[in-house]
Amino acid sequence: MKSFLKSSFALGLLAGVSVSAAELNVYSHRHYDSDAILFKQFTKETGIKVNVVKASADQLIQRLISEGKNSPADVLLTVDAGRLHRAKAAGVLQPVKSKTLAKNVPASMRDPEGHWYGMTVRSRVIVYSKDRVKPSELSTYEALAKPEWKGRVVARSSSNIYNQSLLASIIAANGSEKALAWAKAVRRNMARSPRGSDRDQARAVAAGLADVAIMNTYYLGILANSSVAADREVAAKVGVFFPNQDDRGSHINVSGGGVTASAKNKKEAIRFLEFLTNAKSQETFGNVNYEYPVIIGNNKSDLLKGWGSFKADDVNLSILGAKNAEAVKLFDRAGWE
Amino acid sequence: MTAHLFNIAQHGLRRLKQEFRFKLNGWTVGAVMVGLFLFLPMAEVLWHLTSPAENWEHLRDTVLGRYLKGSIILVLGTAALSLFLGVSTAWLVACCEFPGRKFFEWVLVLPLAIPTYIAAYAYFDLLDRLTPLLIWVRTNVNPAAMTWLSDTMIYPVTIVVLSAVLYPYVYLVARAAFTRQNSQCIEAARTLGHGPQSTFWRVALPLARPAIVGGVALVIMETLNDYGAVKHFNVHTFTTGIFRTWLSMGDLQGALRLAACLMALILFLMVLEKWLRFGAKFHKNSQADRPFQRYSLGQAKAGLAIICCLLPLVIGFVLPLSRLAYWASLNAGRMLDSSFLKLTFNSVAVATAAGLATVGLALFLAYTARYFGSRTVGVTNRLAILGYAVPGAVIAMGILLVAGQVTQATGWVLTGSLTALVLAYIVRFLAVAWQPIDSGMERNCAQLNNASRSLGATASRSLFDVNVPLLRSSLVAAGLFVFVDTMKELPLTLILRPANFETLSTKTYDLVYQSQIPESSVPALCIILVSLLPVIWLNRQMRAPEK
Repeated sequence: MKSFLKSSFALGLLAGVSVSAAELNVYSHRHYDSDAILFKQFTKETGIKVNVVKASADQLIQRLISEGKNSPADVLLTVDAGRLHRAKAAGVLQPVKSKTLAKNVPASMRDPEGHWYGMTVRSRVIVYSKDRVKPSELSTYEALAKPEWKGRVVARSSSNIYNQSLLASIIAANGSEKALAWAKAVRRNMARSPRGSDRDQARAVAAGLADVAIMNTYYLGILANSSVAADREVAAKVGVFFPNQDDRGSHINVSGGGVTASAKNKKEAIRFLEFLTNAKSQETFGNVNYEYPVIIGNNKSDLLKGWGSFKADDVNLSILGAKNAEAVKLFDRAGWE
Repeated sequence: MTAHLFNIAQHGLRRLKQEFRFKLNGWTVGAVMVGLFLFLPMAEVLWHLTSPAENWEHLRDTVLGRYLKGSIILVLGTAALSLFLGVSTAWLVACCEFPGRKFFEWVLVLPLAIPTYIAAYAYFDLLDRLTPLLIWVRTNVNPAAMTWLSDTMIYPVTIVVLSAVLYPYVYLVARAAFTRQNSQCIEAARTLGHGPQSTFWRVALPLARPAIVGGVALVIMETLNDYGAVKHFNVHTFTTGIFRTWLSMGDLQGALRLAACLMALILFLMVLEKWLRFGAKFHKNSQADRPFQRYSLGQAKAGLAIICCLLPLVIGFVLPLSRLAYWASLNAGRMLDSSFLKLTFNSVAVATAAGLATVGLALFLAYTARYFGSRTVGVTNRLAILGYAVPGAVIAMGILLVAGQVTQATGWVLTGSLTALVLAYIVRFLAVAWQPIDSGMERNCAQLNNASRSLGATASRSLFDVNVPLLRSSLVAAGLFVFVDTMKELPLTLILRPANFETLSTKTYDLVYQSQIPESSVPALCIILVSLLPVIWLNRQMRAPEK
């Protein structure tokens, strides 16, 4: 038994510290095919091997804190500025400067001090039933709180960071009290308690359980290109509406990454971020995962173009991160599970 | 009052002295240290029961009630349904005669091989199937009625899915109790003129109660442990609450405090179980199994009995397995490549390591406590096996805390190494190995150990020459159980695994996370098939008359 423990110990040591020069250790929250394709491409171009640990962002941040300066991780990739902000606040990211990154990523899509850089943009919109809702009935996120939408709205759980950032943007625009009242009213208008993924919201609207859904655009892209016929039908039955075009613009968010404070391969890490934000990679994100490039105007995907161009809320994304905790609490108080 | 307290203190002191004088040696000190070390992650969590958490008041005022409500409904519902399914089928196959009885006797245990999260994935579209009904209600009754129905039906659906795979815990122990312990009593009752119904309610059930309570306790723990299924069906429980507080609010302290509440609740349940058993033991004396005259059922009743046995079998095993097999057959070509071989290898390798290490430690701990009769080791053992009662995610938090402190003190990174992962499995599953080993020792070795001690044999000789050979089957059982539990394990593996390290369970989760449920069936099916072997073995073991 003892010798067994010893050998498992030795095995563990080996696995824990196997870091050589031409490797890059990435902790990633992103579970998308586009990423696997791009990581391979990066290795092909640079000869740098990419090792990935996939888990949810906060578990990864917790793990980074626990590992401290001995962490093998070089890069943290995650979705949502709220998470990136949290990673920065936890001290697990370091500021980096790069001319290429500054050129590739607009100022509102990155941390002012360079702790993190946006990689793709996603817009959280109103998706409606083409049969039962005319786009002219829709206007703003705020309007979904009106009584005429009683029993007609679906959205996912407030545990989801996309909803938290949306509410954070409403806090930033209208203040806490109005944001709370909005969350309460929208929850009251829901056709069912919040559940499922963004895709499931589109399915509910297509099936006739509800008339409008709050969800991210790229999920519709995934449905429209699904190998399952029922999913493609869902995408055909619903339309995309970009809200708040007459005032602050539709809520957007980024997925992005930063170099960890403990990075042993800082140079390679920066090169990796530069690679992910270069024009070709940006096109891959659009074509494979239907996300907008970090410079929205550079969009090349026909599917995304089909939804039309839109005005985006230009609130600095780090503000959403700062208001995240408040947003979660408001959701709790509003009873939005 | 003071005199009484004084007496207690004196008594305690005497015990302590005794422990120190006669039982202080390498074995006991080692066992205490190992036990405390394995308890450390749980202690870290329990420590937070009272430590300040900035969001605690907010959590208490807004969401604690929701988590309590969800957990209680789920626990009561699943326990009741599992009790009903387990006891009724056990009674039928143990004490009644009907066509197919022998077949049902062993297949009814098979759902045990399906982890709750995989059962939920196999039924992932169960709620969607009810959509037409909801739409009918929405258009023909009113939208509010649909909202109510849609929000209420998640409970029965989750309860049915969980019970369908958890009832065998009750079935196994109830069947063993009905056949092994009660045959004479039941025959006595029959001689006294009691019909089957009154024999069941007045004799068999009361006699089997301690065993059944133990089975239900396991069902309750599994229910409280589950994360995948409740998340999937959107029931808000303590476990989802812990994840939400940790992951969505980024409040580790608050999450730890919720976890500490859950642990306190489970400790309470464990005490309650002990009390409900009234000290009665699971394995009573059993004389050689005498042939037992079963009630033969008439045609109509036999038909009912068959339906009664088919129902849980179909819902808990046939349907989920055939759905998974169908999806797997569609996707196997794409999924079965060299990377799949690697995940299978990883799963088997960590499960083997965890199985061997856990059995070794459990043997050491159980033996030390029994051989030296040390109360201290008895207590630290009880603490060390608590990990089985605590959700994996909670242990993962505890281990991250411990690992962080180790890193701070020594600079040695524990997380992301296989060592930490295997250690975590040991913490989680020690009880699974300890239970059969300890009860095996009680049955087979207690007197022999006394004899070998008085003959002056060394402790290690007594262990390797007397206990290990006698316990061979218990040791194999213990290893198999840990092996299977590790294969199924999800939350610990997700958080603590090394880079690029995928197992069958993380791959299943990963694919489900990407809404590729049909593809996820391939690794899920592998987990089930591997888990089937020990389940079948366990079934034979529990049926065979004891030596």
